[in-house]
Amino acid sequence: MPKQQDQQERLSLRHILQEFEECADLTQREFPEIGAYIVYFSHSVDNLLLINQVLDPLSSLKRKKDLEQLLCESQFVPVTDSKTAVKGILGGGVAIFAADSVHLIDVFGPEARSVTESETESIIAGPHDAFVESATTNISLIRRRIRSSHLKVIHCAVGEVSKTDVYILYMKDIANLDYVKDLEGRIRRIETDAINDGGMLSQYIEDKPTSVFPQFLTTERPDVSSSKLVSGKILVLIDNSPTVISAPASFFEFFSSSDDYYERWVLGTALRLVRYVALLITLMLTALYVAVTSFHYEMIPESMLLTLAESRNRVPFPPVYEALMMEFTIELLREAGARLPTKVGQTIGIVGGIVIGQAAVQAGLTSNILIISVASSAIASFVIPSYLMSASLRVIRFGVIILAGVWGNMGLVFGIAVIVIHLCGLSSLGSSYLIPVAPMRSRDWKDVFIRAPFFALVTRPTQNQTSNPIRQKNRK
Amino acid sequence: MVKRIAAMLALVLLLTGCSTDQRILDRLGMVQTAAFDSTEGGKLLVTASIPVIDPNTEEHREILQAETDSVKEARLVFSRQTDLRVVSGQMRELLFGMDLAEKGLWKYVETQLRDPSVGFSVKLTIVDGKAGELLAAEHKPHADTGRYITHLLEKEASGNNIPATTLYEFSRDYNDDGIDVIAPIVSDGSDKVRVSGIALFAGDRMVMRVPVKEGLIFALCRGKLKRGEAALDLEGQSGKREVAVFSSVTSKRKVKVHRLPDGRFKVDLYVSLQGSVLDYTGQRTLKEEADRHELEKEVALSIEDKAEQLIRQMQQKKTDALGLGQYVRNSLSYKAWEDMDWREMYPEVEVKCHAKVKIKDYGKYM
Amino acid sequence: MTEKIRPFNLAVLVYMSQVGIVVFTLPRTLADYFGTNGWLFLIPCFLLVSFNIYLISCVYRLGKGRSVFDILEQSVPKLLLYPLYAALITVWMLFGCVIGKKYVLLFQMLAFPTTNPMVFKLMFDLLAFMLIIKGIYAISRAATMFFWITLWMYLLLLWVLPDFNWVRLTPFILQGGHDQIKGGLEVYGAFLGYEMSLLLFPYISKAKGSMAAIQAGNAYLSFSYINLGLISFGIFSQDQLKQLLYPLLDILAYIQFPFVERLENLLYGFFLFLVLITAVMYWWGALETARRILPRLKQQVLTFMLLGITYSISFIPKTIDEVNTWIGFLGNVTIGIAFGLPLLLITLLLIQKKGEKRDG
Repeated sequence: MPKQQDQQERLSLRHILQEFEECADLTQREFPEIGAYIVYFSHSVDNLLLINQVLDPLSSLKRKKDLEQLLCESQFVPVTDSKTAVKGILGGGVAIFAADSVHLIDVFGPEARSVTESETESIIAGPHDAFVESATTNISLIRRRIRSSHLKVIHCAVGEVSKTDVYILYMKDIANLDYVKDLEGRIRRIETDAINDGGMLSQYIEDKPTSVFPQFLTTERPDVSSSKLVSGKILVLIDNSPTVISAPASFFEFFSSSDDYYERWVLGTALRLVRYVALLITLMLTALYVAVTSFHYEMIPESMLLTLAESRNRVPFPPVYEALMMEFTIELLREAGARLPTKVGQTIGIVGGIVIGQAAVQAGLTSNILIISVASSAIASFVIPSYLMSASLRVIRFGVIILAGVWGNMGLVFGIAVIVIHLCGLSSLGSSYLIPVAPMRSRDWKDVFIRAPFFALVTRPTQNQTSNPIRQKNRK
Repeated sequence: MVKRIAAMLALVLLLTGCSTDQRILDRLGMVQTAAFDSTEGGKLLVTASIPVIDPNTEEHREILQAETDSVKEARLVFSRQTDLRVVSGQMRELLFGMDLAEKGLWKYVETQLRDPSVGFSVKLTIVDGKAGELLAAEHKPHADTGRYITHLLEKEASGNNIPATTLYEFSRDYNDDGIDVIAPIVSDGSDKVRVSGIALFAGDRMVMRVPVKEGLIFALCRGKLKRGEAALDLEGQSGKREVAVFSSVTSKRKVKVHRLPDGRFKVDLYVSLQGSVLDYTGQRTLKEEADRHELEKEVALSIEDKAEQLIRQMQQKKTDALGLGQYVRNSLSYKAWEDMDWREMYPEVEVKCHAKVKIKDYGKYM
Repeated sequence: MTEKIRPFNLAVLVYMSQVGIVVFTLPRTLADYFGTNGWLFLIPCFLLVSFNIYLISCVYRLGKGRSVFDILEQSVPKLLLYPLYAALITVWMLFGCVIGKKYVLLFQMLAFPTTNPMVFKLMFDLLAFMLIIKGIYAISRAATMFFWITLWMYLLLLWVLPDFNWVRLTPFILQGGHDQIKGGLEVYGAFLGYEMSLLLFPYISKAKGSMAAIQAGNAYLSFSYINLGLISFGIFSQDQLKQLLYPLLDILAYIQFPFVERLENLLYGFFLFLVLITAVMYWWGALETARRILPRLKQQVLTFMLLGITYSISFIPKTIDEVNTWIGFLGNVTIGIAFGLPLLLITLLLIQKKGEKRDG
């Protein structure tokens, strides 16, 4: 009878070892005195935990009976099928094969980046911490800010091969549960091998993946995330990525930044208006230059006419080629700067800005007014807080410039019409992407185009369709 | 599927869109000023000034001339004289020679109005003599005579002394049966261009000119002044000429129309004027309030006198440049106005001018 | 989450489908046909439109918000209705089409004298297609967006106010006009577009304000027309206004900013948004009707067919004069529909009600 039992246990252990054949990183140790055998990945466990929880207790045991007693403790989870065991080991657990049972203990603790400042969404005043690649750390950053039991977390795993952990966070008494259900359904329906980032995940669950516009807001700031949560939005966190998705989103949300709320309301309002002006500049300035210089010379006032004409005088190409060439150069510079380490990146800026800009004008390849317009639209595009949105707008700009080069102002207007019509057809989790402008919700305007003083911001955004729309009592 | 077809169509559109209507800025000859004269053969002499953009040349403008039958035909002739495409969308100024102005301008103005590339804000000026010669002449240190005239008139108009007339105002007043058109006159003063008066029209023909000296009186009678400068001649007590120089003049005009028992009209013109006196060559000191009041009265009298004289001249020439007809019209019924020939009635109208002058301050020195 | 058009958006949609290409010529039409102070004629027009909208709201109330097609099909056999439907489709389709064509021709005159106008018409139709296949809610959203994008243009009228003079208005009321019936129909045509609210019934929210919103849309339109009329009569002289074919363009061309002038070149483009929504609403109306005849066909295919047909028809009128003749004729027919259809529906509803009472 004991012999048979032995065989069975060996079989299970052998099975596990077979599963992990040719996995050189697997660690196995035997405790012959008590007949125990442990298997784990040394790189995904916390060494201290491993010693305290597993190695020390096991090596201090002398008899098999003691082992049985030890394994009764709750941190050791009994396992019966090998699939769970494999999953446990992969997830940073230690599998303990005793004489007649297998137990798992979670001592997960991989190497991780510590919480640092956000690079893509830095602000001047306000909290500086940013999400890291570990979902548990990220959730802890949020829980630290919202100490409420109503903050619920749904877990799903995405990716047939990668089995990445995805967490859906929402406030039970604020968020609209239909949205939660919809979002969860979309995430569970994903069928792919692996998803590596939040930005990638959001493209799998968007309403219209072919659109140029991001339909969910992504952020790596815990303060933004928690404010979105309490306003009734739903967050999606994905393990191994600092990018958090907030849904549903509206087009205008991409133009607000968290420090609007940390500064005085007048300043916040001014900054928001600046960003909408930046939107217009980034989309239209260069296109307008092209339209005016190639079709509508009547529009130039007399005082500017000679300056403009003189600067165009030596340029051999029509304005549209000139503009596309310079815009393309700026994109090259931007991409090069993004790929290189910061110190080299600065050099690129100097080389590009001064050398190419100055030389191109002197060589008569472009007019200096165009350089001004191209540079200001590039700068304007960086004013938009969301990196995704600003990148989308920069791509669209090329289309608008080409249209303006073909049909002048009419092309420009045609471009705007196409963008607006496209935006009108977009939705985020089924709600209009252009809310609160179309359909009109005037109540929300005071937190979209301006940032009203806090006593006026009484309600949560209509888009969130929250069951609890009142945010605060109106003190005034 | 349908969407894909739509996208394809859009692409085709873009590719075929490369248009023949491109007007690239640096390949255009943008007429800045056009001057019109009549020639002895009864034809039209059109002179156009086009700014030269190339910074490497000494020349700042190119003068093109053509003798044609119609205004727009000239553009075709111009095109043959230059390597640039001649367009009129940047035109700022139209100059008309005196002989043309006396024969009638409307048909030339009408062609400009019809052209969609010409805006309403193009200025219209009469030249004492030949317009083309003035435009072609060099006026050192001004490299471009066309621009020089434009700026000169802009400045004058902003001082309210000589009103600038745009195409909009010309066609508005020409088509109004209660007011007549006016336009500034410039003349060639050898090395300088001078503003030399205001041309008054009856219909589209120039019939009278108001000299510069009386420009202010005319402006006071015609409408509001916002920022004027004025030197007013006064008959002093001792018969000596005195001058009072007013600055920052603001004025208002009011018109009242009465019907006299004999069927004629009587128009009361109320002009009120405010300003500060900067210079006064007369006997009185400005220290005393009483003296200032007297001066006010004297200036008022002088204005009334000159205005009535001016209006009488205008009545003789049958030009209602002050727009009195508008007020007469508004005092009548529609039928009565339609039945009346205002231009014939106008000389009969009795016009009385009432001026009120107020000296706001007299500078910072007693 | 079914979306419904709420009152504000409905008002905007009605306003946007009313304001169209006529706005360029309106002051001239008023001056030409009605003479002095012709803008006053807009007030009776406004009242008449309000009455017509009142008729429409009667249909809404009596029919309890049912689709007008349901009301029709309940009492009239389908065979009889099909010719009516076909007529509606034709008129609305063509009306939308000539509006677009006129806009394109005007633009072509301004800036692209030698380009084939049908290229621009194709572009216009493509935009319309993109919008129509997204459905009425997207159209409503687009109307709201375009409304905000174009709203600021009214401020530009402030720049011409210094040239405004009350004396030019004259105290005469509607003197010196001619052909006032023809002119009246033409001016009334400037208000058209509100009748599309008949087809909107199934899509608007049941909230109380919906019918008031249609009236509000029309009131706002009338307000802006009257403003434009008043200002045009005050800055242009009577006979001058009669000679200006497109007074609005001239007003825009007269405005000068230090950094840009001749605004009509750019702002004419912005009127695309207004004209587009008008045409789209007519085409959408035609489409809704066509779906009653061909319910099986996929909506995208049907839209494509309809727009394809209108595009080929728009080749026929070549000059602005021809287009104006078409607009005049179709406008009159559309006015007939705007009054006739609600009256017909009210009659049907009253008969239906009587029938219900007898049955009950």
